[in-house]
Amino acid sequence: MRSSLPLVAVLLLAGFVLSFTASEYTLRLLNMAVIASVAVVGLNFAFGYAGLISLGHAAFVGLGAYTLAILTTQAGWSPWLAAIPAILGTGLVAAALGYPLLRLKGHYLALATLGLNVSFSIVAANWIEVTGGTNGIARIPGLSILGHDLKDERSFLWFGLAVLAVLSVLALAIHGSRIGRAMMAVRDDETAAAMTGINVTGVSVSAFALSAIYAAVAGCLFATHVHFVSPDDFSYAHSITHLAMLIVGGEATVAGAIIGATLLTFLPEWFRIFGDGYLAFFGLMMLAILVFLPTGIMGLLRRWRRAPRPGTAPHGAARS
Amino acid sequence: MADLIQLVTNGLALGSVYALAAIGFVIVYSATGVVNFAAGQFVMLGTFAGVTTLVTLGLPMPVGYAGAVALMALFGLLFYAAVYLPLSRSPVVTIIIGTVAIGITLQNAALLTFGSWPVRLTSPVEDMIVEVAGAVIPLHAIAVVVATAVLIGLLWLLLNKTALGIAMRAVAQDVRAAKLMGLRVNVLLAFTWVLAAVLAGIAGLMLGPMWFADVNMGDPIALKAFAATIIGGFGSLPGAIAGGLFVGLAEVLGASYISSAYKDLIAFGAMILFLLVRPQGVFGERIQDRG
Amino acid sequence: MSSAADGPITVGATVPTTGPLSLTGKQYFNTLTMAEEDINKAGGINGRQLKIVIEDAGASNSTAVSAFVKLVQETKPPFAFLTSYSTQNLAVAPEVAKAGIPVMYSGGADAVAENGNSWMFRIRPADSLAGRAMAQFATGTLKATKPGILYIQNDFGQGGAAVAQKQLEEAGLKVVASEAYGQNDKDFSAQLLRLRSSGADVVFIFCYPADGALVLRQAKALGLKMPIVASSAAFVPAALQLLSAADLDNVWGVVDAFVDPSVGGRMKDFAERYKAKFGTDADPYGLAYYDGAMLMAEGMRKVGTDPKALRDWLAAVKEWPGIGHAYTFDAKGNGVHDLAVVKAKRGTKALELVQSLKLD
Repeated sequence: MRSSLPLVAVLLLAGFVLSFTASEYTLRLLNMAVIASVAVVGLNFAFGYAGLISLGHAAFVGLGAYTLAILTTQAGWSPWLAAIPAILGTGLVAAALGYPLLRLKGHYLALATLGLNVSFSIVAANWIEVTGGTNGIARIPGLSILGHDLKDERSFLWFGLAVLAVLSVLALAIHGSRIGRAMMAVRDDETAAAMTGINVTGVSVSAFALSAIYAAVAGCLFATHVHFVSPDDFSYAHSITHLAMLIVGGEATVAGAIIGATLLTFLPEWFRIFGDGYLAFFGLMMLAILVFLPTGIMGLLRRWRRAPRPGTAPHGAARS
Repeated sequence: MADLIQLVTNGLALGSVYALAAIGFVIVYSATGVVNFAAGQFVMLGTFAGVTTLVTLGLPMPVGYAGAVALMALFGLLFYAAVYLPLSRSPVVTIIIGTVAIGITLQNAALLTFGSWPVRLTSPVEDMIVEVAGAVIPLHAIAVVVATAVLIGLLWLLLNKTALGIAMRAVAQDVRAAKLMGLRVNVLLAFTWVLAAVLAGIAGLMLGPMWFADVNMGDPIALKAFAATIIGGFGSLPGAIAGGLFVGLAEVLGASYISSAYKDLIAFGAMILFLLVRPQGVFGERIQDRG
Repeated sequence: MSSAADGPITVGATVPTTGPLSLTGKQYFNTLTMAEEDINKAGGINGRQLKIVIEDAGASNSTAVSAFVKLVQETKPPFAFLTSYSTQNLAVAPEVAKAGIPVMYSGGADAVAENGNSWMFRIRPADSLAGRAMAQFATGTLKATKPGILYIQNDFGQGGAAVAQKQLEEAGLKVVASEAYGQNDKDFSAQLLRLRSSGADVVFIFCYPADGALVLRQAKALGLKMPIVASSAAFVPAALQLLSAADLDNVWGVVDAFVDPSVGGRMKDFAERYKAKFGTDADPYGLAYYDGAMLMAEGMRKVGTDPKALRDWLAAVKEWPGIGHAYTFDAKGNGVHDLAVVKAKRGTKALELVQSLKLD
């Protein structure tokens, strides 16, 4: 875990260097990877730190994106200004939902959050006056910094990488802080944590709300990057993808989250060369990673670097 | 009144399919602890097993149905060996993602094999209807409800009255104790997957004539089956049945009496509500047993 | 582009070949391939061969955008085809403006054309046009006074239902019931019974192929007697193959174009060759892209492959005689201004043209 910071720095630097050489198409995929990374680093608070299995993460990404979209297109706010209520509002909603929901554990929580995500999609698709229904909301204004519009993929990527860097450092700082340790204590043994005086519900809800705040940041980035949101961008399938990214990256670390998000963004695109069956390959590939690399890419990297030390791989939240 | 009878029958037929899908899901969960996100694809494959034997090969109906069920049994065995065994020691999240991944593969493999056109299986009682107090009820819908009831009865007998079923339940309760008792746990687990695949397959065969089948129908069915499972109670067979029927009825009656646009919120809202208020569902395991 | 003056002209197309949208996507995948062959057999474009590179647009907006950006990046096409799904069109629109190449698309939502993106040309009727046509036919020909609406909960259904409702209300008619169903729903008894008990004397159905066929079957099974006017998708071959003749009794379709060999002439040739080549019947979606490819080829013959020149040429197209329509692009890039009303001949599934509706 201590080794995560240098690796995160290397990853972000690699993204920055790539931004000078990559084609427009690769730049777009890198932007998608960065946005997914922000969301998945956030999901790591809930899953990796606190052991909460959430299959509703995309709903929080969507809540952030929709709030920004509505405030910019209907109320004429600047996207910077709109991002504030989008992010904080999403955090509050997550906290309010978390209080009753987080009493659930394991697959109960997984299915409850899945139901939450499906419900979000139904509302987004049918509350036409506000959300534009299934047509979504188009013409969302882009961001600009000091008069420079982040219109092209390259400058957006620089901005996205900066956001990801700040949020990653913050996530690592939280990991080492008292609240971060409390989250992991709750993950590892709830009863023991409660006995040492940790407020289990409070800690779980904080982790959940933090993860939703990151999700909302990702949503704001998404809306200002694509300039268009619609319900199917935030379906439960995306939530499963977020969780898959975290698992494939491995070991519930910030670096793993970024690696997983990037890999699963690029993999289906690379697999296009397989022709019609490319998604079938993608599924098999993912299964193979889960079976042969149970600790994800991070576990693989660790094994390459040195012989495995017993007990170093935190097995996610194997709680069931 | 006629309308209500009509709606209730249609809801029950719909619910029967959800119930069967939910039972396949629950059997696997009880015995192996696996939350199978590919459960919907099992149902889809069941329909297309029927398409293969009845339409592509043109077999006569009894042979075709038997062939389709046999194909599904084979599929269940394959799934056990190729997906369950390699993943069986993984954490619950890895298993969830793993079944999602294989679900993507199954769906796309089916698209490559069968194409994107929807298909219609004909029913043995095609176009026959029964009129009850002004409501028009297809005989097939009644057959679905009856067949589901019979299957559930057989399943109950299997699990409670046969040595095989009792051994399966022993494995479901405690694998290590079952091993100590000398039960061949792997064979029993394999049989569980086969049973789940066969039940999903039969659900698929029954819905083929009622709805049109297409290779993308798996996930929506799985979502409804999840809701049914939670409402009825995780890991409980009677729960899966009650939950399935509830979801089917809620869908049809909700569309009629509340709002057709928001009707699916009823099933998922009820699911979340149950999780909050009574997470063990109507009939389910006590929550501290697992999770 | 001048450096490769004798090489093939490469054009891009994003088509859903995976996921649920591939049902319709397959049709234009086929017709684009067919158009490419036909154009090359006829000597290509001013002696240069045409090559259409197709990428999967999948079932999500972001896949569609990635596919488009990939095409633009890797093949630098002077022109591209987008999908027939409005939300994908809306999501890709900013990238089209960035790429600065003309594209043809066939999503129906009016919002796509309202974007003020001068590079985008629609080769199917807009949903508002279809809604108006349905309202006009039902009030004019069927003399309906109490219309009801049933629509699928997606961009197409919600948009079409809203337009039809507005049109009908402007004509002084009150919509007695408006019911929705989900894209994956299989039982429509609640909605259909509500339409019946509301006293509707005509029902408009805005649907996709498989659900449209299922709605028609269940409407007959429930004994609904009023005429049904369904949108294009209920009459595509993928839907018709699911239906019996009886299901089509008293059902009218307001479709993009009447695609049937019985029309004769070029339509006969197109429909028969499609069937021979791909084993299924052609549908209006496929035809739209075939016509679109031919129109594009003609533009390239006239003004070459400079994207801007090609766009300006397309924008000025007036009454270009395609197989399905006479195409005229208006200021918003809408190329199609007519629809066809079709009906199955009594007791059969063979369609016949009832009337053509020209609007605008």
